[in-house]
Amino acid sequence: MAEEIAPHLHFQYADTGHQEETAIAGMWLFLATEVLFFGGLLLGWMVSRHWQQAGFDAGGRETVLWIGTTNLVVLITSSFVYSAGLGFIEADQPRRLVQCCAVTIGLGTIFLALKLYEWHIDLSEHLFPAGPFKLHGSEADGARLFWSFYFVATGLHALHLTVGLGVLCWVIREARKGAYSAAWHTPVEVVGLYWSFVDIVWIVLYPMIYLVGRGT
Amino acid sequence: MSRVHRQLLYGWLGLLALVAIEFGASILPLPRGLRPALMLPALAMVAVVGVAFMRAKRGPSIVRVFAFAGLFWLTILLGLGMMDPLTRAVYTVQSTELP
Repeated sequence: MAEEIAPHLHFQYADTGHQEETAIAGMWLFLATEVLFFGGLLLGWMVSRHWQQAGFDAGGRETVLWIGTTNLVVLITSSFVYSAGLGFIEADQPRRLVQCCAVTIGLGTIFLALKLYEWHIDLSEHLFPAGPFKLHGSEADGARLFWSFYFVATGLHALHLTVGLGVLCWVIREARKGAYSAAWHTPVEVVGLYWSFVDIVWIVLYPMIYLVGRGT
Repeated sequence: MSRVHRQLLYGWLGLLALVAIEFGASILPLPRGLRPALMLPALAMVAVVGVAFMRAKRGPSIVRVFAFAGLFWLTILLGLGMMDPLTRAVYTVQSTELP
């Protein structure tokens, strides 16, 4: 009797379970490198704030708190919705998965739109560090450092989020073609890991940008 | 509602509660040196996302090795990077005029 081979199984794996474990482990390894990538930013924030606390905190007080907080809730919710979609495909409900992906893309787009609006406010208030700057006096240098960190950190995060939106569109396309089922949906799980990591990055950036400098 | 979705819902509600705690704590008049403690709810949120949404406890054991390695090297990076700023004694030096 001929041995039945799963359609998505690549030759180098013993079975689909082995292939799935390898893909998930590979994404976790990539995320570990991303932790160190963003770790450099975190270290930059810690060193800069240590030496120029007053100026750094003065810069932080100029951020738009309501947008940062709204975006935090939006991104947390998007991770929840995508994870729910993963739960649906595990129960063999691909249509629900597509719906969850669409909502996740909508929430991610809201995040990006709010971020673009926030950058517009920041720039119109002369908070870009290289140029005529809003803050003057002894706090100006520290505040410029803060806003350098702000634009690099939020820019890199937005770039990661944009990549995530593209990958989510790909998941929808494949799901609509019937590529995923309860038996095989490894890409859905791997993309979910990436999307949740983008969420984690914002969870860490939020207090650093919007909260620590306030109230001082 | 399935057991998986119920657990996800609890995770989401827990995260929203942590956001509220973090935001509420930020209103407290903490001294400047203690303000970084506002990161603690964020660390709890990272743990919730890792367990509830990323299923870190359910995957193959190598997943936890990679997650631990990432956090370990991050600790090395931040620890060594902050070693000098946290231990350096800053002495004020009187300005001297060159002849």
